[in-house]
Amino acid sequence: MKYTKHILVAFSILLFSFLFSYLVRSYNNGINSFGLILAICLFSFFIFNLIVRKIAWFKPYFTSKYNFFSTKYRTKIEFDIPKDLMFKKVIEVIENSKFKIQLVNEDMFEVFAISPMSFKSWGENIYIDFQEDDGKTIMNFCSATISQIYSWGKNEQNYDQLVQNIEESLII
Amino acid sequence: MPIIVNLDVMLAKRKIQLKELSERVGISTVNLSILKQSKGKAIRFSTLEAICSALDCQPGDLLEYSESEKSFK
Repeated sequence: MKYTKHILVAFSILLFSFLFSYLVRSYNNGINSFGLILAICLFSFFIFNLIVRKIAWFKPYFTSKYNFFSTKYRTKIEFDIPKDLMFKKVIEVIENSKFKIQLVNEDMFEVFAISPMSFKSWGENIYIDFQEDDGKTIMNFCSATISQIYSWGKNEQNYDQLVQNIEESLII
Repeated sequence: MPIIVNLDVMLAKRKIQLKELSERVGISTVNLSILKQSKGKAIRFSTLEAICSALDCQPGDLLEYSESEKSFK
């Protein structure tokens, strides 16, 4: 079912690209200036996102539900461990993972980490904040892509991997 | 959890601080704190061995089974 959704999205993107390209060409008698401007705008937007991705101040920008060019994956997870300990534990786990910590706010109990850009991925920002509820810790996890309108499941995979690493690290 | 970790009791008996134990056994203070509060998912034999060696005690001094904790849950 998940793969069917991915295939449908890929097909829709290809179809949209083809139709858009065809319409723009026919309106401009073969001179695709509008397409070029659009491509430059999209490229500039992508470069802008790449530059600001490491700045923690841009958290609301990347996590905003109105930022349609960044796919978000939000989830919550509860651990039966006090907040201050869980906070330190998660930092320890992230330091030993492929993610790189950009900011640790000990007063607000917030962690901001990024994954490096690779041939498979443009990179990903993860924002974690911690809440305490009756001696337990609720971890609010938000993963945002840099410039991607659809998630192909990489964010979920990274989240599952991180949770697995946390669970494994609780075997002392 | 009906298994209680009496690490804090042993630390007090031996008059050793958690940080000192952490340096002796090579386990982070975060992990030892989690263990001390009985919040860990499991404990490795190697960890148990290292702690017993550092505190000069038996595994039974560190771990305790409590029926009341089980019924309470």
